Amino acid sequence: MLAVATPGELPPYAGAYQPQTKDERGLWMQSDEEERIVRDSAFVIRDAALNAYLRDVLCRAVGTARCEGVRIHIVRDAAFNANMSPNGFMRVFTGALLRIRDEAELASMLGHEFAHFELRHTLVGFKQERHAHNLAIWAGLLGGGSAIGVQLALIGSTYEFSRAQETEADMLSSRFLEVAGFDRQCAADLWQRIADETDETARGRRQRSQRYDPVGFLATHPTNLTRMRYLAAAAADQPSGRRTGQEAYRAAMKPWRALLLADQLKRNDFAGTEYLLGQLAQDGWTEELLFARGELYRLRRHPRDLVAAARFYTDAIALDPKHAESQRGLGLALLRSGEVERGRLALRRYLELVPAASDAPMLATLLS
Amino acid sequence: MKTLLAALAACLIALVHAAPAAAQEKSAVRPGFVLKPGSANILLLRPKISVGAQSTAGAFEPNADWTDQARENLGRALDAAQTKLGNRVVAAGDPVGPAARTLAEYQALFETVAGTVIEYQFFPGNRLPTKKRAGTFDWTLGPGVAALAAESGCEFALFVITEDQYGSTGRKVLQIFAALARVPISSGVHKGYAGLIDLRTGDLVWLNVDQQMGGDVRDAEGAAKRIGQLLEDFPGRPPAVAAPEPKR
Amino acid sequence: MTRSFPRIRTLALPLLLASATAAIAGNTLIVPGQPVAVAKSTLTVVPSREWNKLGARPGRNTESWTLDGAPLNEVTFYGGIENDRTLFREVSKKEKPLPRFAATMLLTDIPALVESSYRIALDTPLMRIAAAEPAELAGNKAIRFRYVFTLPEEEVERQGEAVATIVDGRLYMLSFEAPTIHFYDRDLPSFRALVATARLQ
Repeated sequence: MLAVATPGELPPYAGAYQPQTKDERGLWMQSDEEERIVRDSAFVIRDAALNAYLRDVLCRAVGTARCEGVRIHIVRDAAFNANMSPNGFMRVFTGALLRIRDEAELASMLGHEFAHFELRHTLVGFKQERHAHNLAIWAGLLGGGSAIGVQLALIGSTYEFSRAQETEADMLSSRFLEVAGFDRQCAADLWQRIADETDETARGRRQRSQRYDPVGFLATHPTNLTRMRYLAAAAADQPSGRRTGQEAYRAAMKPWRALLLADQLKRNDFAGTEYLLGQLAQDGWTEELLFARGELYRLRRHPRDLVAAARFYTDAIALDPKHAESQRGLGLALLRSGEVERGRLALRRYLELVPAASDAPMLATLLS
Repeated sequence: MKTLLAALAACLIALVHAAPAAAQEKSAVRPGFVLKPGSANILLLRPKISVGAQSTAGAFEPNADWTDQARENLGRALDAAQTKLGNRVVAAGDPVGPAARTLAEYQALFETVAGTVIEYQFFPGNRLPTKKRAGTFDWTLGPGVAALAAESGCEFALFVITEDQYGSTGRKVLQIFAALARVPISSGVHKGYAGLIDLRTGDLVWLNVDQQMGGDVRDAEGAAKRIGQLLEDFPGRPPAVAAPEPKR
Repeated sequence: MTRSFPRIRTLALPLLLASATAAIAGNTLIVPGQPVAVAKSTLTVVPSREWNKLGARPGRNTESWTLDGAPLNEVTFYGGIENDRTLFREVSKKEKPLPRFAATMLLTDIPALVESSYRIALDTPLMRIAAAEPAELAGNKAIRFRYVFTLPEEEVERQGEAVATIVDGRLYMLSFEAPTIHFYDRDLPSFRALVATARLQ
């Protein structure tokens, strides 16, 4: 565990905001319904271990005084996102958990959301979006196109205000990390990767990247470039040897990796996923990552993709001969390339490993 | 400029509220269904009540305080209105564990069925030919719904759903801009569904829907009015009940 | 938390995709006993009971029928989806491009195409293929697969069954979806009866 550094480094925390008006009160109250919704929704992940882990990182990031009134939940959604409502209900999307590399990055994301909550950004002034602050919008990840968005541009003055708020939240979050002993370079790193992935997605779809636009769609946020600069500057003078918690994070996410990778693969985003897999493989290609890459190429089916896919599956199998899904993918890729005998061999191997596979009867027809 | 805009805003807001609604409330009874007063036990399931504000972007911003107030007020109003239902009403307890999941599933299904009735039978625009025929009202949740009432000794279950989204200032201002640009944006949502299910078959024997409900559920008087509207035309009302209140 | 009444999502997306109301053609009655050409194609079926044909179509070569309303029981016909086309209309080509059918696909590739298309178009991570087996459609070798999905905000779990075949490089498919509670089991036989009568002229 981590001892909090010099007391007084964080602004004193007065506890959750006390709403000033009767109507505000309702926004800040925890609702019974909220617990019911979390209990009953099919989209919330209720796994005790994963929830406990996230809560633990949050409390280490912002301190126990601050994390006491906050509820944090995990929502199954492949996008990189997290948000927090004024009454202390924080949601983290599984897409964020897939992309984050270590506890320092997780802490920086959770800390950022918490900072908005602490700074009561959702309360101040007339804002164009009074609902929960939305990280993805901040990141410029949510694209434009809605008629409402275009109309909102008419209500101009709130934008300046919001940009300042984002920077404020970044700075407070940076202080959280400093006090908690996490490596603060991570925040900059994380956003760099997210920005790069977004670029890749756009490039793959032959669209323009929003990244260097001085005035992006909502024009509320410091551009990613600016943000990365000031985050990096804030971290520049930190002492060396700060924690990242990479091992602990990997261990906690291990049971979920395969599911989250599968969710990402089904988004029909070749370029973004290819980039993401490359990033996740910084410390080596595991059989899971190789399998995912195989699926990615096999599903795209450009010329030579099938050959590449077969190679990735084969590499995965070399790491783990019992990785059944790779045998299935290899078999299908080879069959599609016309390599019938080798393809059938792989499919047979798959069916040996998983005789009760849900599509076993269908695959069996390919064997004769 | 500001005062002009404010004046314009006031005008348009007033216009929006005054716009006559196409018929937005309707009820129906399953053909052949008759409920004699005093003949049945009705299980009142935990009403699904949702109150909040509609943010500028149209997103729903739940307000716990408003919802709590509404639940309290609507609960009392339902208690008072029970006598008008002509039968014994039992309030269902709050289930835990798997039973809670089952209740949530059936409430979700009821909401979907009610919405389907609205979309495909009640209101013109998208009616299905098989649902247009005079005297047709054939809808069900399926016999599995009996699980919700296992030990209750009730033959019927009453589902109640209300949703209120009060248009925020931002939303109302947005409406003005949007109106100028001729983009249709509604402000505020006030819906209610009430449905009676025959627990033996799962059939929906009575449904009342209202997409533009009156009554501010955050206070006792408004809640009483809301319940009055929801339970209007409830089959089996004793004939001696007072003349029905005007709708709005 | 964003909570609201479920917008009535017809699972083949016609109401989601079509602009508000007036533009949608009305719904028409399908009478039993005679062959009906569906999805503007050479695919025909012979209904043995009344169905309602929905005026709004999910896509160019598609058509949907229902008994009580799309959210409760919906059959969708795909009449010859061509190479490099999506299964249904894209809501936003830019933000949510859908995967495309390829004439060179194997039957085993079809479930993944459907799964991905649904996940993207309907904005749900909760869609999975439960099983797949060989079948027959209009006298051709086909694949039959089952799936389970839940739409966000509505929280009603649905199950689906689809039968698909590829003929002359085109995809022909019939699908049926209904809530797991009561409707799926009740109406699946009606769907299978339709499938059994399918012919490609």
